[in-house]
Amino acid sequence: MKKLWAFLKRDFLIETSYRFGMLLQLSSIVFTIAGYYYLARFVGLSGFSADKVGTQGYFAFVLIGVAVHEYLTTSLEAFSRGIRESQLAGTLGALLSTQTSLPVIILLSAAYPLLWTSLVVMVYLAIGIGIFGVRFADGSLGAAGIILLLSIVAFSGLGTLSASFVMVFKRGNPVVWMFGGLSWLLGGVLYPVAVLPWWLRKASAMLPITYAIEGLRAALLRGAPWQELWPSVAPLLLIAVIIFPLGIVSFQVAARYTRIAGTLDQY
Amino acid sequence: MNAAAISVRSLVKRFALSRDLGEIIRRPFATRSATALDGVDLEVGRGEIFGLLGPNGAGKTTLLKILCTLVLPTAGDATVTGCDVVRQPSLVRQAIGYCLDTERSFYFRMTGRQNLEFFAALNNIESDRAAERIAELTEMLGLSHAIDRRFATYSNGMQQKLGLVRALMTDPHVLLLDEPTRSLDPAAAAEFRHFLRGTLVDKLNKTILIVTHSLEDASECCDRIALMGQGRISASGTWAEVRGAIRNGGTSAHQAGHL
Repeated sequence: MKKLWAFLKRDFLIETSYRFGMLLQLSSIVFTIAGYYYLARFVGLSGFSADKVGTQGYFAFVLIGVAVHEYLTTSLEAFSRGIRESQLAGTLGALLSTQTSLPVIILLSAAYPLLWTSLVVMVYLAIGIGIFGVRFADGSLGAAGIILLLSIVAFSGLGTLSASFVMVFKRGNPVVWMFGGLSWLLGGVLYPVAVLPWWLRKASAMLPITYAIEGLRAALLRGAPWQELWPSVAPLLLIAVIIFPLGIVSFQVAARYTRIAGTLDQY
Repeated sequence: MNAAAISVRSLVKRFALSRDLGEIIRRPFATRSATALDGVDLEVGRGEIFGLLGPNGAGKTTLLKILCTLVLPTAGDATVTGCDVVRQPSLVRQAIGYCLDTERSFYFRMTGRQNLEFFAALNNIESDRAAERIAELTEMLGLSHAIDRRFATYSNGMQQKLGLVRALMTDPHVLLLDEPTRSLDPAAAAEFRHFLRGTLVDKLNKTILIVTHSLEDASECCDRIALMGQGRISASGTWAEVRGAIRNGGTSAHQAGHL
């Protein structure tokens, strides 16, 4: 816990020392959500079928898609960015010669970005509820929390896998390339997966974000019971159980390789 | 239990070299490597200051990185306070304080204190104890006036001192210092050497392995030195003994040029 706090404090101090960047980050939250609101109004005017996006309308539908995508992007990039920035700054050697193990360092490096994303998502939801009148189903908040947690674990597994590539190759990250781009296209962020042709739907079934978004929409927009949520939760659980340990092991292998190659602190 | 603080036996380190595309096509399974350490033997006693000298590329920093577990050796053994650097890296990291490339190993936008508190947490030091150690060590090194300033505003000498404070935070048995006087003016370097000898070794009984290009460091501060070149130790002993070996032609002109 003390180490988690140390990483959070470090990243907060560094982030807030760039005041102009912080201001721009905060203002972009409002611009993003306003953009999606007007997109939703346009979609509403165009008579988009309510049975595809739910009774809450397109804005609530897209709000959840974008929020989950934020978590995916952060998880995919936070671990590898933590490594890359330490390589560039020259602090990686200093970090790795401390008494904290490498897996702990890599996991804690992502704590602040994930916390920041959670704050951003909360602001999205608060603006959605407070200003744009979105209403979520009360009964399934617990289920939504569990789905979100599973999603973060699965995404973090991909994130540590992605950090392994950065550790070895420094630049060039196939995990971000593959999961980042495809998830936006096929994961159902802006439109339901149902509108995709069958062969793209098959591909979307391979992505964890598809189940995360489906599950969260079912829980928050329809208040679906557990029996209905299970088809989304089970694959997410399976992916999380496989990918997370795989990510940690691959990172340890990558770190061992760089210790042999002597490239640990190179960039 | 090994009596020596640092023991290195037949240590070899080879780094794989990258190959161009033509070479990969012509000989896909061949490998190319550069030998950084070629059978190094070394023993540093407890409470001793041992200097490693030699030209750039001699393998000094590679040896230091192996001892602090950042690089794995290709062959041979190395122990620090009896702990094996390959099999017991976490025990080794508990025993050492490593002062490396200090200009680039701190967070520029945090203060000296914030940096030290962060690394203290990673070294399992309780906050109260960390605060005490920061006060004590910065006072000892004359850095207390600047400890709440951003690291970015530090002079090279102050950065070097902060690196030493960080290395000493855990009160380690062994200190590994990579060119610690490189950025210091002559007066500050002399003061630093006095601190190493008078305080860290004579009073606190630390063992120090120091990589240096400075003849003053070697002659005034070190109990023994070793002269390295092309991954080997060509001469070792007291300053006088190594100078004697050079005069008798026991080492190459390139390495001897250092002395």
